[in-house]
Amino acid sequence: MTMTRKLRDDRGLDRGVPFIFTVDGVAVTAYPGETIAAALIAQGHAGARRTARRGEPRGYYCGMGICWECVMIVDGLINTRTCRTEARPDMRIETQHGIGDQP
Amino acid sequence: MIAADLAIVGAGPAGLAAAGEAAALGLSVVVVDDNPRAGGQYFRQPPRQFRRDGSASLDREAARAAPLLAALDHPAVTYLPDAVVWDMPAPLALAVAAGQRSQRVEARAVLVAAGAHDRPVPFPGWTRPGVVSAGGAQNLLKGNRMIAGLRIVVAGNGPLLFVVAASLARAGAEVVALVEAAPLNARLWRAWPGLLAAPKLLRQAIDYRWTLLRAGTPIRAAMTVTAVQGEERVSAATIAPIAADGTIDHGRAETIACDTVVTGFGLMPSVELLRLLGCALTYDRVRGGWLPQRGSGFETSVAGVFAAGDGAAIGGVEIAMLEGRLVAHEVAAKLGRSGGDPARSAALRRRLGRFDRFRRAIEAIFAPPRDYLGLLTDDTVVCRCEDVTAGELRARRDDGLTSMIQLKSTTRTGMGRCQGRNCMATLAAMVAADTGSRIADLVYPRTRPPARPVPIGDLLHENIPPPDLPADPHLPRAPAA
Repeated sequence: MTMTRKLRDDRGLDRGVPFIFTVDGVAVTAYPGETIAAALIAQGHAGARRTARRGEPRGYYCGMGICWECVMIVDGLINTRTCRTEARPDMRIETQHGIGDQP
Repeated sequence: MIAADLAIVGAGPAGLAAAGEAAALGLSVVVVDDNPRAGGQYFRQPPRQFRRDGSASLDREAARAAPLLAALDHPAVTYLPDAVVWDMPAPLALAVAAGQRSQRVEARAVLVAAGAHDRPVPFPGWTRPGVVSAGGAQNLLKGNRMIAGLRIVVAGNGPLLFVVAASLARAGAEVVALVEAAPLNARLWRAWPGLLAAPKLLRQAIDYRWTLLRAGTPIRAAMTVTAVQGEERVSAATIAPIAADGTIDHGRAETIACDTVVTGFGLMPSVELLRLLGCALTYDRVRGGWLPQRGSGFETSVAGVFAAGDGAAIGGVEIAMLEGRLVAHEVAAKLGRSGGDPARSAALRRRLGRFDRFRRAIEAIFAPPRDYLGLLTDDTVVCRCEDVTAGELRARRDDGLTSMIQLKSTTRTGMGRCQGRNCMATLAAMVAADTGSRIADLVYPRTRPPARPVPIGDLLHENIPPPDLPADPHLPRAPAA
């Protein structure tokens, strides 16, 4: 995780009160209504999972729920598409390795 | 079970326009959309928690979206958000999974307005975090008001690149290059007459170009991204000239430092449901690839099943809305409800004709190279879900496995969660080139339900009768009589 980057475009927009959730135990800031993937990207965290065969990092790609590259383990649920799942306070999210059955 | 005169799959521009028009004509309508918020990709809405004052440039489209979205509040319209049409067990029946259960929607006519997605074009590094599709970059902007990166290379082919690059620049990104495969300047002058057919869209296009000029973004035409570097995320992109026959001149390659690469190589209609139904398809690369054959009223080869918008042939938002409205009139006339509204239909058709002329001019300007197979090194991943490289596919080919079906079954290409949406087009291009065939003549692996992945638990609550499968599993399902 790198420094917070100014990727949110706040012109003409009030996002409300931010909250925190965790990814692999590290705190991530999100605003109400943002997707998990967006909050991660805003914090410079591009990867979401590692592939089963080659162990490659993958992350947000299609942004419309069809590629399944951004899946993570969200509150214990594997294969959760972070591009279409709203972030909520105190969510516990983990990087998914393979189909979620690898440590 | 929900019954209606017209069932619409997709709440994007085509589906919403059809719903509003159909409700006004007195039809009962069900709209099923797999997104939690209506609007499709073009009119993607930010979450309601975002308090907007309307001054942002992205809010300009909100005024246009409002009347479309209002259709969903009409008493004759039933709207099912966050709902996946995972099968069409009969031409006029949808199997819909939502909220951990599955139900049927039955209608007297069905409009499939399922939209489109980015055409996959693999190159070394395209799977690296920080490489984002054009649609993905737009959705981050529209849905989350966020840019995908600070220093961005936008690369690929087609008019959407200019929209995405300009939107990113307006939202504060440094767009360090727009890399477009077509030799734009050489083609622009001949296309002018067609562009004048839709002055509003032409003004928009000039506005995008002007935004990029002010932002200092160079347009690198007749070039392509050839590789993306970086470890855990993107650090640079390499670009090189590409010729009309797909030849890449690596000798004149340049490397550009960046933290994000946005790629868009055009859109492909989502035709899975139409394939499942056995609708006759034709291959037309200019309009996005495999398209349903449609009559003048946008009816497919299966009676009562219509297709409109980018889910039927890539044409953009204006054409999608006009087609959606015209389908509503067609269905109303067919059901004898109101006889449609001939004067309005004729007016809609005249407008459609003008946008079609504009579309053809844009297609001529952005006509892509023959293929992008020159980008495929042996190490390049073709199938993202199953992690299959071009080298593995070539090794199977050299073993004598040359058909799409053989390559799929032996490598699992196309068998992952994206169901081939990110690899089948590449596999088809590889097989066509290797066997000297046309993509139009290739036999594709059969499409089976579920049309989109659904949790198995959602389906346990419906007693689905066994589908009527053909004896040869690779043949399309026979259309019902």
